[in-house]
Amino acid sequence: MTDQKTPVEQRVVTPVDPSRRTEIDKQRVPMSARPYRLLALVKQDAVVRVQKEPDDTVMTWPHLLSIEFLAAGMMSIFLLLMGLFINAPLEALANGNVTPAVAKAPWYFLGLQELLAYFHPTVAGVMVPTFVLVGAALIPFVDRGNVLSFRPSERKTAVVLFTLFCILGLTLTFVGIFFRGPGYSFVVPYLPFFPNSTNGLHFAL
Amino acid sequence: MSFLERVDQGIRRSVVWRSLFRQPYPNDERSRAYAVMNNVFLHLHPVRVRQHAVKFAYTFCLGGLSFFLFLVLTITGVYLMFFYVPSATMAYTNILDIQTRVTFGLLTRNIHRWGAHLMVFFVFLHMMRVFYHGAYKPPREFNWVVGVVLLFLTIMLSFTGYLLPWDQIAYWAITIGTNMGGYAPLFNTPVNRLLLGGLEVGQNTLLRFYVLHIMFLPLIAAIFLAVHFWRIRKDGGISGPL
Ligand code: HEM
Repeated sequence: MTDQKTPVEQRVVTPVDPSRRTEIDKQRVPMSARPYRLLALVKQDAVVRVQKEPDDTVMTWPHLLSIEFLAAGMMSIFLLLMGLFINAPLEALANGNVTPAVAKAPWYFLGLQELLAYFHPTVAGVMVPTFVLVGAALIPFVDRGNVLSFRPSERKTAVVLFTLFCILGLTLTFVGIFFRGPGYSFVVPYLPFFPNSTNGLHFAL
Repeated sequence: MSFLERVDQGIRRSVVWRSLFRQPYPNDERSRAYAVMNNVFLHLHPVRVRQHAVKFAYTFCLGGLSFFLFLVLTITGVYLMFFYVPSATMAYTNILDIQTRVTFGLLTRNIHRWGAHLMVFFVFLHMMRVFYHGAYKPPREFNWVVGVVLLFLTIMLSFTGYLLPWDQIAYWAITIGTNMGGYAPLFNTPVNRLLLGGLEVGQNTLLRFYVLHIMFLPLIAAIFLAVHFWRIRKDGGISGPL
């Protein structure tokens, strides 16, 4: 075949003599039989070091995809049931002249709205959200203690701080959702023996 | 061979079927690899994944479900767009019509609404899962930052959508919400004016929120999602095991 072009030189690589096959030769599988393609060239010494391929892997189909499809299916059923049985809220036509008994932001902003009851709007409405978002983005660059410890037990400070922060946010949001009534006053829902009890939640999703 | 079997064989051997699927049902390792690699949607995944990453209790599928909700919201949202005009005089009537006259309109609106709340919730949960696994540590720092942007975009998507029904809930929630953002010391006026397109929630606000909601934010979110998923693979797959 190749003789026509290079009559003298033998271009075809002959297989290694079976008795002299090394570890690498054994791993050498014809490209066509491999489920992946050659995407990059690595230096010789790298190849030698990575001789043993990691074998803690499983095939994406079926192991991962079946779980994903199942999760997506369950979520679809859940959404369908929610959509069939619970209607999205819709009140009267928007009217800037009719202030409702209590005006609340969407639930994910209620923590901030709750802060508005205690702090100056510049603090609650601008500085806190900016601090939270920028702070969150900076976490990986601040938490440099030991970049190799992943277990919560090995990084107690980070876990405790983050958990405290989450509890704080959750508490503020819960107060905003359940314990704020007409005029954003403090109320206790449903419990008639409290003087400031209200009959029902002042909250829309 | 029974009749059904023959039909099945006939379909699978037809030119159309074989033009769609290049190989039979993937049963062995090699064809399973091709099944993932040769499919435009599935090749988001590598052909093999590490074993612990597949365990439900590691990711709880929270990121995946957030993305799934994003897709559901896109589909239901496009359907709703056919029947909705972002005009202060028509929007509310459109919603009433969607609920009473449009085929599956009520169901679509309900799913869009609950899906949106659920997505914000799941993105929060996903973020907590990532934190507790320390999955933001090197080499995944940048993907965490991309995640924070996605969180912001998700919330803004939900917030801008909240105004569109143009009812009392929407009007006052957005009034309160934008008032909070209106106090930035130096650029007080511009922030509020920019968002509202005026001094209070009105026609300009509705149009702005609409455009942000159906075009601008989803587009930006899609770009950041692409980066997010790309980075997961470039950072060596899912973190762990713990
Ligand atoms: C629209 C919102 C988001 C979507 C659709 C999304 C999607 C995903 C998916 C599918 C994964 C794969 C693993 C898993 O499912 O847990 C993932 C991983 C990751 N996400 Fe997100 N994500 C979103 C928001 C966020 C946020 C808010 C953060 C953090 C601030 C974040 C940070 C990360 C990180 C660091 C990883 C790698 C985790 C690991 O290797 O264990 N993502 N994301």
